[in-house]
Amino acid sequence: MAPVVLTSRATGTLLFRGLLFAALLVFLFFPVYWMVATSFRPQNEVFVQFPTLFPHTPTLANFRRAWSQSDLPLYLRNSLITAGGSALLTTALASLAAYGFAKYRFFARKPLMYLMISAQMFPFAVILISIYSLLQVLDLLNTLTGLTIAYIVFALPAAIYILFSFFMRLPDELIEAARIDGAGDIRILTRIVLPLSWPALIAVGIYSFMWAWNDLLYSLTLITRDDSRTIGPGLLLAFFGEMQQDWAGAMAASILAALPAVVVFGILQSYFVQGLTAGAVKS
Amino acid sequence: MSGTGVHAARQPVGFGGAQAWFGFALTVPALVGFVVLILGPFLSSVYFALHEYRIESSEPVFVGLRNLETLWRDATFWQAWRTTVVYVAATTALTAVLGTLYAIFLNEPFRGRTIIRAASLLPWVLPSTVTAFLWAWLFHGQYGVVNAFLMTLGAMQQPFFWLSTSNGALSAVILAKAWLSTPIVMLFVLAALQSLPVEQVEAARLDGAGDGAVLRHVVMPHISRTLGIVVVLQAMGNLQVFDVIYAMTAGGPVRATTVLSIEVYRRAFEQWNLGMAAAVGLVWFATIAGIAIVYLRMLLKDNP
Repeated sequence: MAPVVLTSRATGTLLFRGLLFAALLVFLFFPVYWMVATSFRPQNEVFVQFPTLFPHTPTLANFRRAWSQSDLPLYLRNSLITAGGSALLTTALASLAAYGFAKYRFFARKPLMYLMISAQMFPFAVILISIYSLLQVLDLLNTLTGLTIAYIVFALPAAIYILFSFFMRLPDELIEAARIDGAGDIRILTRIVLPLSWPALIAVGIYSFMWAWNDLLYSLTLITRDDSRTIGPGLLLAFFGEMQQDWAGAMAASILAALPAVVVFGILQSYFVQGLTAGAVKS
Repeated sequence: MSGTGVHAARQPVGFGGAQAWFGFALTVPALVGFVVLILGPFLSSVYFALHEYRIESSEPVFVGLRNLETLWRDATFWQAWRTTVVYVAATTALTAVLGTLYAIFLNEPFRGRTIIRAASLLPWVLPSTVTAFLWAWLFHGQYGVVNAFLMTLGAMQQPFFWLSTSNGALSAVILAKAWLSTPIVMLFVLAALQSLPVEQVEAARLDGAGDGAVLRHVVMPHISRTLGIVVVLQAMGNLQVFDVIYAMTAGGPVRATTVLSIEVYRRAFEQWNLGMAAAVGLVWFATIAGIAIVYLRMLLKDNP
């Protein structure tokens, strides 16, 4: 249990603290509220200089329009495939590598690992120039497969580091005991280590998923065909293009586009928080 | 975790022979992915930077450092570089301060804390385009709620067209990114705060320390390492930002919010001048590398 730090009950201090906290909460939560409020407003309540805090006559018209007038279902499907696929790939690659780095000693172990982790500093846009050429040669431009593979770039380095920190804290006695019982390396990995690692694997899976799910740069560049578009560029082209002034529609579409990830994340959040912060905080 | 557990975990098993090979084999798939998708493309971009390479001419022609010389004299490039530095410094500082404050507040017990904590990460789950729409709408010149709010308070007489003025647009994209990242910083700092030993705070109180002194002399030293890592990671992330800015302003008005990622994107995928785009990337990389070295030092200190 963390100790209470703010104990002062002086009126001035309480007031100052309360106002500061309230301001922070408004900054963090009001934008989301405003998105929801706008999405329920009829057009004549959207385009006013001084909007009311709550919609007067709430309507679902914006949601219907957003769903039927854009290819939202298609974008969602494509985003789920690419983000889901790259999350699985990244987690698989990173977990094996991180376990190898954490629990085995071999030549050039450290330099290899730091090289891979340091890849976070290679600018994504610069890597993209060559990935574009690479996918072109492999005939994977404009394919969901190509985009899925390209997304490994975003999360692999951090995923290796997060899982490395996790495996380092897994007691060696566990592995040694199994070895004494005659278990081989593969058996130890699949029967003992991986079953214990679900929380960390889920955390890394969510982390990779969100990088791909939130992306605009790679999807905008590597996909130019309408039927392979993902959410980011799909929404951008649908609402900053032809329907330019449909703000209520854009907000409604945004909510529909965000909903699947919000729900999944809501369910898995506790794993994510533990897994992600474990590496940066030592107790 | 007990001291012996930590100590034992620092000794990898398998000191050679078949087991070492098995350990190495585990890393091979990730290594292949890393070489093909990250290191290879990065090196090949360095190669492009030394060549005149446009998509229509298709064959790269070696020009040595000429691209870099051209950049050196290119005012638009330096403008993008300066914009990036301002953007990264402002966003990172703002995020660090707000995130730390937020974590300190959320560390206190109060009703509804669990719900607020859980809801805080919501921005992080939104696709970048959604975040960009949202903030473009908040800052809308005619119908934006930010203007309505400021005018109601009497802070302004006329609506301000945020996204069509240089400073307004830059402020808007900085705020949008700070909004996006503050919960992440909160998450890490809060995790650090929760491992703060009660005895340390009590000892300070016995010495007569008030809240301010406890924050300064007990809390800050305790979270400084975590905060350091998070700030460096944030700075590196902010140096990379493309999505939110591009979807909000497309780098404009004129070039006011054109950071290096947008500059590279434009040169590569709008002008199809891959050589120059890669040269911009090289200078950009040098900037990031400075910060990355600090980060690697921190990691090495952690896992000697």
